[in-house]
Amino acid sequence: MIAALRYEFLMQIRRPVMWIVYGLAFAALVATMWPAYRTLDLGSGGGHDPKLAMVVSAKVTMSLLAIVYGCLLADRLIRDRRLGVATIMDASSANPLGRLIGKYAGVCAATAAPIALAFFGRAVVYAIAEGKAEALAWSVPVFATAILPGLAFLGALALAGPLLMPPLVFRVLFVAYWFWGNLIPADMMPTLSHTIFAATGDYVAYGLFDRGSEGGFVYGPWPDAALNFLRPVASPAVAVLWMGVMVALAAGILLLARLHAARSEH
Amino acid sequence: MRIQLSQLTKTYKGGVHALKGIDLDVPTGMYGLLGSNGAGKTTLMRILAGLLRPTSGTVRLGGDDVTTKEGRLAVQRTLGYLPQDLGVYPDLTARQFLDYIALLKGLDERPGRRRRIGELLEVVALGEHADRRLKGYSGGMLRRVGIAQALLNDPRLLIVDEPTTGLDPEERIRFRTLLSHLAGERTVLLSTHIVEDVAQTCRYLAVLAKGRLVFQGDVGELVSRADRQVWTVTTSGAAPSTGRVVAALPHGSGMRYRVVAPVPPDPMARPAEPTLEDGYLALMEAAAPV
Repeated sequence: MIAALRYEFLMQIRRPVMWIVYGLAFAALVATMWPAYRTLDLGSGGGHDPKLAMVVSAKVTMSLLAIVYGCLLADRLIRDRRLGVATIMDASSANPLGRLIGKYAGVCAATAAPIALAFFGRAVVYAIAEGKAEALAWSVPVFATAILPGLAFLGALALAGPLLMPPLVFRVLFVAYWFWGNLIPADMMPTLSHTIFAATGDYVAYGLFDRGSEGGFVYGPWPDAALNFLRPVASPAVAVLWMGVMVALAAGILLLARLHAARSEH
Repeated sequence: MRIQLSQLTKTYKGGVHALKGIDLDVPTGMYGLLGSNGAGKTTLMRILAGLLRPTSGTVRLGGDDVTTKEGRLAVQRTLGYLPQDLGVYPDLTARQFLDYIALLKGLDERPGRRRRIGELLEVVALGEHADRRLKGYSGGMLRRVGIAQALLNDPRLLIVDEPTTGLDPEERIRFRTLLSHLAGERTVLLSTHIVEDVAQTCRYLAVLAKGRLVFQGDVGELVSRADRQVWTVTTSGAAPSTGRVVAALPHGSGMRYRVVAPVPPDPMARPAEPTLEDGYLALMEAAAPV
C-alpha cells in the first residue's frame, strides 16, 4: 500500500499537464468569480469575517477545480492495464486491495495538491490583505471538513468510473454530473444538488461554520424541490453525517472497483 | 523448483478451449515451452503465475497448489514473471520502477532493497542508464528492466513469456545468454515460438499445439523426430510440392531448398542432418489433423 501511495503520488504530482490544466482552470475561476473571489463574501457581506471568508473560499475553489480534479483522475486506475504494468503487479504477492487503496490515496493526494495550494494560497493572501492571521487557523479545519470529504468521494468515483466506460466518455459525464448534482439550484429539476449526497461541502459550511448565520438563512429543504427528503436542515450533526456519507461512498466505490477487478482477473 | 501439472484444462468464457488435459513435469533448470501463436503457452504461463485459474486439473509448484489462494500466495512470493506484454511507467526511471516493484514484492528494508536493485541493474547491464526515464529506453533495454524486476525477490521459479520477440539479433543473443546464466539452482521456464531460442538455451522442452501437449523430452529427442525426413533439393524449377519447405537459398541459376518430408520430395533430393527446427516442424506435421 505504501509503495503504491508513494509512487502514484510521485508520478501524478510531476505531470506537467496537471499543473497546466489547473493553472488554466484557476485563471478561469478568478475571471468568472470576480469580484466574489476578491471579497470572499458571495454578496453576503461576510467577507471581513475570516471564518466565513474561508468557508466561501472553499465553496468558490471547489466550484470549478473539482471538475479538473475528477477529469485528471479519470485514467489513473485503468492505465495500469493499458500500459501493461498490471500483469507484473498482479503476479506479485502484494495485497490487491492494499494496492488499490495506496493508488487511490497517492494519486488523489497529488491531484488535490493544486486545490490545496489555491485554497491555502488564498488564505495567506486574505490574511495579509485583511491583517487577520486567524484566517490561516480557520483555513485548516475548513479544508479538512468542507473540501477533503468531497474530494475523497469524487476521487473514488473518478478512478472507478472509467472501469465501466472509456475515460473520455466518463469525463464528459463527470462534468455533467458536477453541474447537475452539485451546482444547479435544487428547484430547477430533480437533482442531487444541495442534498446530503452533493460533494460541495455546503452542509459543513452551514452546519459547522454557520455560513447562514448573518442573514438568518436556514440551509436545508428547498421550496418546491424534488428529493427534499435528502435535504435535512443543516446542523453540526448533519455536517458530520455528510462527511460520513462522503467517506462511506468512497469506500463503497473502491470496494466495488476491487470486486470488478477480481471478477475480470479469472 | 519442480512444476507438476496434471490434467490441466482452461476454457475461457465463450467456450474457447485454451488448454486441454495437460500433463507435464518440469525439472529444475532451463526448460523450453515451444508452440505457435495461439497454442496456449501464455495461458499456461498465466496459470503458473497465479494470474488465471484453471478450469480443472492440478498445478503444483514446489509442493504448493496454485489453484488455492494460500498456494498461489506462497508461489508468488518465490516467483519471477516476465510477461509477454510487459509494460512500464514511462515517467519513472529504471531505478524507481524497480524500487516500486520491489516494495510490492515485500522487500521492505531500504538498504537491502537498494543494494539488490543496484546489483540487478548491473546484471542486466543497465547500471549507467539506471536514472534515465524509461520512456527513452529501447525495446531491448525494457526487456532487461523486465528481467530485473522478475529477479528482485531472487525467485526459485522464473517464468519468461516470449522474451525475445521483437528484439534485434544482438539483443536476442544477450538476452538468451542472460537467461542461461540465471538458470542454476532455479527453474527458468522459457515460453517462445522462436525455436532458435530454445535450441540455444534449453536441454529439455515441451511443445504445445492447439492447447494440447504434443511433446515433452530432451532437445535431442525432438531433433530425432526429423531423422530421415530432412532433404535438400537443388533445382532451377518450381519448389518441391511434397513436404514443408523450411529454407530457400539462391544457388547458381536455381534454388536450393531444405524440405521436411517423410519421403524424398524429389528424385534428386539428398538427405540432410536435422536441426531442432526440423524436428519441431516434423512433430507439427505429424500432430496436424489430416
